[in-house]
Parts: sequence; C-alpha cells; structure tokens
Amino acid sequence: MSKTIVLVATEKGAFFLHSDGERKEWNVSRPALKGWKVNNLLLDERGAPTLYAAVGHFVYGPTVQVSRDWGETWEQQEHGPKFGDGSDSTLKNIWTIVPGLPSQPDTLYAGTDDAGLFVSHDSGAHWEELTGISQHQTRGEWMGGAGGLCLHTILLDKDRPGRIWVGISAVGVLRSDDGGQSFQPCNEGMPIVIEGKEFKNIGSCVHSMVQDPAQPSHLYQQNHQGVLRSFDGGDHWERIESGLPSKFGFPMVMDPHDAKRLYIVPQEADEYRIFQDGQPTVYRTENQGDTWEALRNGLPDDCYSGVLRHAMAVDSHEVAGIYFGTSGGQIFYSIDGGDSWQTMPCALPRILAVKAVAVKEA
Amino acid sequence: MAPIALSVTLPGILATCAGGENTVTVEAETLPGGVEALLQAYPLLKVHLFKDDGKLREHVMLLYNDQSFDWLESTDIPLKEGDRLTVLQLVSGG
Repeated sequence: MSKTIVLVATEKGAFFLHSDGERKEWNVSRPALKGWKVNNLLLDERGAPTLYAAVGHFVYGPTVQVSRDWGETWEQQEHGPKFGDGSDSTLKNIWTIVPGLPSQPDTLYAGTDDAGLFVSHDSGAHWEELTGISQHQTRGEWMGGAGGLCLHTILLDKDRPGRIWVGISAVGVLRSDDGGQSFQPCNEGMPIVIEGKEFKNIGSCVHSMVQDPAQPSHLYQQNHQGVLRSFDGGDHWERIESGLPSKFGFPMVMDPHDAKRLYIVPQEADEYRIFQDGQPTVYRTENQGDTWEALRNGLPDDCYSGVLRHAMAVDSHEVAGIYFGTSGGQIFYSIDGGDSWQTMPCALPRILAVKAVAVKEA
Repeated sequence: MAPIALSVTLPGILATCAGGENTVTVEAETLPGGVEALLQAYPLLKVHLFKDDGKLREHVMLLYNDQSFDWLESTDIPLKEGDRLTVLQLVSGG
C-alpha cells in the first residue's frame, strides 16, 4: 500500500491533501500554521519524516517552522536564517528550503529575499550565511522582480559535492564549486532583462530551474523571457521554445522517472501574468524541450488566475502525478502524464507552493 | 525595589511563541525591564516584534496600559501593581 500527500503552501497557512496510490479520492486537512503566509514546504524523508515550512508574515517577519508529526504541531526555530551584523541586506522572506545531499542527512539549504543563501547542519536548528551570494562582487547591480530580490531555487550536484546552482530573480543563475563560498554567473545564452552598468553577465530573470537527477549538469529553466536548457552545468544555455504560445511562465517540473519529460504552464506575458484567454494549459515535452505539446483536457475555461513558480509538483508514483495550484486557490492534477486533468475538491487561499510525495506504508 | 507582575497580552497569531497563551505574566521593576523579561521568557517573540537592528517592526505597536509607547515622554517607568503591556498589530492586512 502507498499513500499520496500533496503539501500546499498558501497565503494563509499550509494544507495537506491525502489520498491513496490511486489518487482518486482526496481528504483536505484543516489549515496548519493558520494565518501565516507559508511560502514553501519541504518534506524531508532522509531520516524520520520531517516537515519544514518557510513562513512569513507582513507584520511579524519570516521564520523556519519544523513539524515532526506530519503538520499537527510546529516548532519555530529560534536561530533561523539571518544576515550578518552590519549587512545591508534584510531578511524579508524565506523562499525555499531544500535538503542537502544524501551523504549529509542533517544539512539543509535555504534561499531568501533579500537574496541570500543559508545552510544548516543540524536539521534547521541553526543557520549560517554563505557569503558567496550576499557579498558577490556584482551584488551592487542586482535588482529584484515583483517577488523581491529572491533566491528561489537551489540545486546541488550529487556527483560533485560543493557544486551549487542558485536561481535569483532578476539576477540569473549562479554556480559555486566551493560549497557556496564563491559564485560565478552562468547566464550565457540567457535573455537579459536588467543589464548591469558594469557587469553585463547578470540581469536575467530565471523563474524556475530543474535538474536531471542522473546527470546533474543537465539543467532546464523557465525564464521571464524564455524556456532554456543547458547540458554543461550552466556554462551555455539554448532556447527550447518550439510550439509554445508564450515564452513567459513560472513553474517547471520534471518527470521523476524520465528526465526528458518536462512540464510547464505558459502564461500571458508579462504585465498580466494570467492564463492566456482564461484557459490554463500545461505544455509537455518528451524530448528535453525540442518540441512541446499542449494539454488541457479537463482543465476549465474562464479561469483568469495564474501559477506561481513553486506551485507545481510531481509525485514519485510509478506513473507520476502532476499537480499545480493557482493564485485563485484551485489545484488541478493529472495521473496519466498530463493527458487528462481533474480538479481537487477544495478552494484554498492564494497558492504559493505545491509539493507532492508518495509515501510507502509498511 | 521588588519585582512587579506585568500582564502581557499578545496577538492570537503569536500565542504559539508563548506556549499557546496570548496572555502571560512576567516580573520586572521597570517597563523596559518588563519587555526584556518578556523576551527572556519567550525568546521566539523577538524576531516577530523587533527587526534585526533592534527597532520595533513597523506594524507592531506596544501599549503601556492604554498608552502607546510613542506617546510616552519616556518609557523608563517604574512598574506598579496592575500594569499591563499589550502587543498590537497595526493595520488590518488582507
């Protein structure tokens, strides 16, 4: 037996949707962290299952919260991410929390607005700043987007410990080969939206980025101005937009069993940021982005919301479920690779992030 | 000078930082001492009430009895029996 849990982070709390492996009937939890803005969630299964929440509030500020009982109770971490004394940067939001490599089961990384990269080696109890981002030589020319100057994506290289990629809006992709002590921009071939006065290799607005788990240097991204791939760890990027109605969108996910298969949700650029013509449509490639196919069987008409960068996910069932949540609080999902879509039986607050997991029961 | 009990009322959303209670009592001799005692007893509150530079967050108001700290000529006030400290969230949000 297996079960499925969809973790949903919203403007007003976290929700958990439970089903079995069939994923036909769903139960929706009551809100956890009610009233708090939950920017993102992580279920870390490297040890005893532990939930991490990147929590914020427009009055009370950002914190990391941890639950070891599947979201029933939460513990605020007193020594969360914090910029060093005297820093010009302010911690406005925590955008993402990701697990370290399997060989470092107590290590986590967090990305923030203002753009910062933090690491914890004790399962989130204490965090230290990796200054390769906050003291980068080009930092004076960095500019944020609508979501702030946010470091929203962190990818690691399982074959090369110490190599870290980050995505920052609207700075671009940066790569470290020394565990985050220093970073170099990796934006060659990417569209530049805000060119620096002195530094011409920054200013690209990466919206989301995914990685082939078997070949960590194979990267794909949805950018503010395009969809791109790199097969050399970000040294060079090439456009993969054949068949897409719009270059603009936020999320991108990869099939966990077939790295050639990717899913994105193009949206109307860029001052609108909603589904084109009110028709949410997922696009799928099965050849690493060479071509894309539109999928909207079962998706509604007259749906004038959008999908944020972290609000799309895949589970790890044999046929991976695909899920996306909208800024209007709906969640759509497919259990046949995107050929058909269903609507979750709930209407939630504005959805900021979605994660999906398949849990094997003893 | 003997410590005085200061009753502190918190916004409901911050009750989790004080063991689930939104009214707690701390002991101190002065009003600043009462704030310090509150943060000593419930350190998780600090990040929510104060910014990294130590200043009060913009949309948080502290009331001594029914008076905003901003209205007081000085917050360096000896506490007396029955004094209250209230943490309020300014503006309503969305």
